[in-house]
Amino acid sequence: MTKPLLSVEDLTKTFGGLHAVEEVSFQIQQGEIIGLIGPNGAGKTTIFNLISGYHPPTRGRIAFNGRDITGRRPYELARLGIGRTFQVVKPFPGLTVLENVVIAAFARHPKRADAERHAWQILESTGLADRAGLSAASLTLAGRKRLEISKALALEPQLLLLDEVVAGLNPTEADQTIKLILQLRDSGISILVVEHIMRVIMNISDSILVLNFGRKIAMGKPAEVTRNPEVVKAYLGEEAACKP
Amino acid sequence: MFLLLPQALVDGFLIGGIYVTIAIGFSLAYGVMHIIDFAVGEWIMLGAFLGFYLTRWLQIEPLLFLPLVFIVFAAIGYLFQPVIHRVLSGKKGNPLLMALVFTFGLALMIKGLGLTVFGFYSHSIPSALSAGSFSLEIGSLFVTVPVIRLTGLIYALAITLALHYLLKKTDFGLAVRALSQNKDAAGLMGINAKRTSSYVYGIYVGISAMSGVLIGCIFSISAQMGSQYTVFSFFVVVLAGMGYLSGVPWAAFLLGVVQSFFLIYFNPGWTLLAVFGILYAVLLVSPKGLFGKGV
Amino acid sequence: MRWRNLLWIGISIAGLLLLPKFFPDPFFLRIVTEVFMWVGLAITWDVMAGYTGYLNFGHGAFFGIGAYVTAILMMRSGWPFATTLPVAGLVAGAAALIAGLPTLRLKGAYFAIATWALALAVQQMALVLDITGGPDGMRLPPFLHPQFFFYLMFALVAATFALLWFLLEKAPFGLKVKAIREDELGAMALGINPTTIKMQAFILSAIPAGVLGGIYAYWITFIDPASVLADIITDQAMVMAVFGGLGTLIGPLIGAVLIFAFKTYFWAYLADYQVLYLIILGGVIALTVVFLPNGLWGTITGYTGGRRILRKALRVRQPAERPQGSGEKET
Repeated sequence: MTKPLLSVEDLTKTFGGLHAVEEVSFQIQQGEIIGLIGPNGAGKTTIFNLISGYHPPTRGRIAFNGRDITGRRPYELARLGIGRTFQVVKPFPGLTVLENVVIAAFARHPKRADAERHAWQILESTGLADRAGLSAASLTLAGRKRLEISKALALEPQLLLLDEVVAGLNPTEADQTIKLILQLRDSGISILVVEHIMRVIMNISDSILVLNFGRKIAMGKPAEVTRNPEVVKAYLGEEAACKP
Repeated sequence: MFLLLPQALVDGFLIGGIYVTIAIGFSLAYGVMHIIDFAVGEWIMLGAFLGFYLTRWLQIEPLLFLPLVFIVFAAIGYLFQPVIHRVLSGKKGNPLLMALVFTFGLALMIKGLGLTVFGFYSHSIPSALSAGSFSLEIGSLFVTVPVIRLTGLIYALAITLALHYLLKKTDFGLAVRALSQNKDAAGLMGINAKRTSSYVYGIYVGISAMSGVLIGCIFSISAQMGSQYTVFSFFVVVLAGMGYLSGVPWAAFLLGVVQSFFLIYFNPGWTLLAVFGILYAVLLVSPKGLFGKGV
Repeated sequence: MRWRNLLWIGISIAGLLLLPKFFPDPFFLRIVTEVFMWVGLAITWDVMAGYTGYLNFGHGAFFGIGAYVTAILMMRSGWPFATTLPVAGLVAGAAALIAGLPTLRLKGAYFAIATWALALAVQQMALVLDITGGPDGMRLPPFLHPQFFFYLMFALVAATFALLWFLLEKAPFGLKVKAIREDELGAMALGINPTTIKMQAFILSAIPAGVLGGIYAYWITFIDPASVLADIITDQAMVMAVFGGLGTLIGPLIGAVLIFAFKTYFWAYLADYQVLYLIILGGVIALTVVFLPNGLWGTITGYTGGRRILRKALRVRQPAERPQGSGEKET
């Protein structure tokens, strides 16, 4: 049994009286896609923020490649190999698409020329190379989401946290993104995906982690999880693309 | 030496009231429009000079002009707010920072205008109450309470109560509070953001100008006094915690006491330095203000 | 492509270097020397404002600190002028470090207030301390050689311009700084530590300003808190940079030249110039913010027509050109 890439133990985060995340434990292995689902407010984005270092956990430990990274800051984690996207995309609007990615590339390629070359490669692989000279502000939503992924990729991460990268895209764009995610997984990157579109999550995840009210209520293969009565209960009232 | 300590405390407490008023107006403007108005000291200066000239021309007790000064400057503020609003809605660059630069430019212009029109001289506004004072004996301690300073405190209390009533008990106040919490939602509820902001800015400028008149009765005025009061406003508001109105009285009275302390015991030139020192220390240790509740 | 640029720059520099030979009038040289100085102050202010997105309303304090360092070292310790300059720069840099520690953590508006207040504090200190001569200021030994100061100021500002151009436009540092300006949280997710970068930018903006102050002190031979530690220094640098165009180096340069030229003509015609000048200064910055937020240079380069023209004139390399040899596609 190989060592897990990411190991989360008893992760807890409280904001004042609000228990956003409560004793969540799970592991991510190398090269697998974990889907993170749950009703609104279940704590998914908080988990992202905890793993990527934007909030220190109130309790619990996070280990990456065997090293304890609990409480480390986002920029340290980025250099260690954890990349993330944001639910509300964060491009650098005043800079060009290329410059956006070059900045991310500096994490692995300190020299400008190397970083630029690496950035071009990334842009080609994500299909943004033809828009490299445009300002990031001029991109459509689909372009911005693609840019967000490109920047995270430029870090050459081992673990990628994708926060609703498919939401808001038309079916063609969505399919392209799904294809990209699968390609990334095949190249060895582990991915933790948050997505509300069930058809996407069920199809691409190797394993699904379900949160409700900050607690983990189920984890397992997509088929098992959809049959889990706890999960169905949590989602009662929301559209269930998962049929029994 | 310690015989003077109670006097320093009393003086500081009395003057603190005025600083509370200025700071509340300032925080109000910040809460609703999210701008830091660099020109606050200059509004104070202009109000002080209006009070000064009205007193000189009409030879009446200056404190009677307070309502008039308020109305004049509230109108100015109300009419001027749309310009600030335009800057804040700019699409290019960073609107908040640009607004800051704008109020900085405004402060510069008003200061220059003040120097041109009023010259470099200092004046004092002669109030009938300026000369009077009475003494209090508390046990074996003996303090002098200048009537004019007491008036300042009463003024501060009146304004604070009026604002409190306005904000908590009227529909307008509800609109203001809604606006400062969530501009978009407030707009969806039918609150006219632009008009409400204009009123708020008008109120803030009016209060600042009125406070200027009182300052002119207690201390002296000059075209260059603006910077000092801008610093004081920032001090109070930052120490209290930006947006945290409950902290304002504490910070304001602290400022008053520090100022009086230095006036009595040390060279007054050190007052500003002491203020800066405290500000620096607080920012270093607790950027959200003394109570940690700032934004 | 870059040949043309270098040629123009070379010609301009040569022209400026030869200026004193053709126009030796000391009054004229003094004006140009002061223009250089303001270019230096405007571009260093822009390092924080335009590139990093932090408004330093107390920038003039670095200048004043440098001036006093030179004055104190020369007058109280007998140092020769040349050796005081690096110290002036370093002390200004240290001041940035001290001032930056509590202030860089703050959001934009607070940073502006805090730096403004700290600069006033420095002025107060100069007024009350003995070593600075208090309100009477300090006199320095006269060294009346306008050409010397012309070349010295030019050399410093040119070197500063070149250094900033390299660090902010070419080196990775510049992009990192801009990333922080655009989105600090987003930059953190990409491996950038904002506190470190901001502090570096802050110190970078302070050191040349300090050296400028040192040169100024020896040049003018008299300094006092009202002249070198006054608001007006930051105010002018600010107006020049905003009017010229934030976020570039050419913008503040243009702004400095234009505003200072205006000031010089203005001074010639108005007796009570300083106060009216304040009004105009404030007006310029207020109007620029409302009507021309990208400044002159920013607006010119913003028009696609203008951009095309400029690009042709300067043969600027298209930013989207692929570097040779990176055509390998990923399979």
